[in-house]
Amino acid sequence: MNKIKIVDDIISDIKLDDSISLEEVPKNEFFDVTSICLTINKDSDLRIEYSTRKATKLDVKIKINPGVRLNLEEYRYGKNFKIRYQLNLLEDSTANVYKFYDVSGIKEMNIITLNGKNSSIDYNFKTISTGFEKYNLTIYHNAPYTNSFIKNSGVNINKGNLQFNVSSFAGIGNKECNINQASRIINLTDNKCQINPNLFIDEYDVSANHSALIGKFSDEEMFYLQSRGIDEKTAHNLLINGFLTSNMPDILSKKITKNINKYWR
Amino acid sequence: MRKLKIDNLCVEVDGKIILDNFSLEIKEGEIHAIMGPNGTGKSTLSKVIMGDTSYKIISGDIFYNDKRINDLSVDERARMGIFLGMQLPMEIEGVTNADFLRTACSIKEKEAFSLMPFIKKIDNTVKKLNMNSDMIHRGINQGFSGGERKKNEILQMYMLNPSLVMLDEIDSGLDVDSLKIVGENVMEYYKENKPAMLVITHYQRLLDYIKPTHVHIMKNGKIVKSGDISLVNLIETVGYEKIDAETSEPIVSEVK
Repeated sequence: MNKIKIVDDIISDIKLDDSISLEEVPKNEFFDVTSICLTINKDSDLRIEYSTRKATKLDVKIKINPGVRLNLEEYRYGKNFKIRYQLNLLEDSTANVYKFYDVSGIKEMNIITLNGKNSSIDYNFKTISTGFEKYNLTIYHNAPYTNSFIKNSGVNINKGNLQFNVSSFAGIGNKECNINQASRIINLTDNKCQINPNLFIDEYDVSANHSALIGKFSDEEMFYLQSRGIDEKTAHNLLINGFLTSNMPDILSKKITKNINKYWR
Repeated sequence: MRKLKIDNLCVEVDGKIILDNFSLEIKEGEIHAIMGPNGTGKSTLSKVIMGDTSYKIISGDIFYNDKRINDLSVDERARMGIFLGMQLPMEIEGVTNADFLRTACSIKEKEAFSLMPFIKKIDNTVKKLNMNSDMIHRGINQGFSGGERKKNEILQMYMLNPSLVMLDEIDSGLDVDSLKIVGENVMEYYKENKPAMLVITHYQRLLDYIKPTHVHIMKNGKIVKSGDISLVNLIETVGYEKIDAETSEPIVSEVK
């Protein structure tokens, strides 16, 4: 497993094999944002751990070369992030992205460009929102036969204010694209949360779906768990854990469970 | 003696009376079958006993082991030993059967809970119910067929070892082989534990395996006729309409 650890806007620890090349452009007198550019040359697994102690800006660019698969796991914690994240997929490349954030205060812009034919992204994002969190995801299907599966899930608590803005684009000529968005927020506060799903499709031969749901856990789910003797609080914890850990890899699932225990036990 | 006692229970949903002065008593070791056409309040009865807050009790009492349970929460009732095998078991994404059952059993058994016996019991029961062992590690009822969901309910019954078992249309969605497995396992549990049982069904086929000691026909929120297993045969022969349209002897005698 390749690993990168970032603290604020500095890479503090790194372990990469020859499948990934890295270029770091520190902020300078002209640009006040550090850029981290990764190129994925061979099939790779990469884990990023990113934390902040102060307000931080960062620009992350990942290019996945033709025919290459990237499994990316990211765990992020801290506060006051401003991030631009760009994923560029070339022909026949695949990205499986799993992210879990436990942050307080973030503005993140994700730009995913499916530039090569048959490129595909499976994006799974989970967050426990305790402050202002705004995620803009833009997915460009710039080539035919491209696939995107974008799944955003968040639990909003305390002073949380969570927003997902997801926009998918498919231009004329980019046939047989498969575009999917699913966003769900469990809002355990009276604060306002938002999901804005957008599909901008200029091509007839495209399959596109979206779903968006903001709410609490259903009474039926709670009844089912409680009817087996599980008290309300524990039932709630089980549902939150299930909601946030489903489809996530083991290590991230453990981190999620640990964070859930921090807030709910 | 453990027993469920329902006294003159009136229940409404959205202003409509669903249970109307309903009374019933089930002692340990008794199996009561409630039959009746759709929409008569059979499922409502089981959910109200379990404590579903979607239903409003207007009057009447529910006692379990001589304790009034009207005001107890769902989980408190479950911890008293009340179990409801549901007609449409929920699918809950992400919460695995294993986590769910381990949590439920550890809450019930408290300090006595031990992981190894739990695993052994779950493995044995899964085999007995002819379930796929990987279902334990999947989300609750996630991707399960109708029959698999019903078997999962019976698995939960075995693991929680209740003293009052209510099975709401546990036969729906089961093929012939699964019905036999479920029916035989319920009876095996009954013989071993002698719980009080309430079985809600539309059809005789489930009662080929689960032999009721009492049979009731329910209509418009109340029991209109009670009897023994012979009542089931009568229902199969003449249907609900002729029996419940007129409970007086002449019509039943005529059929006889």
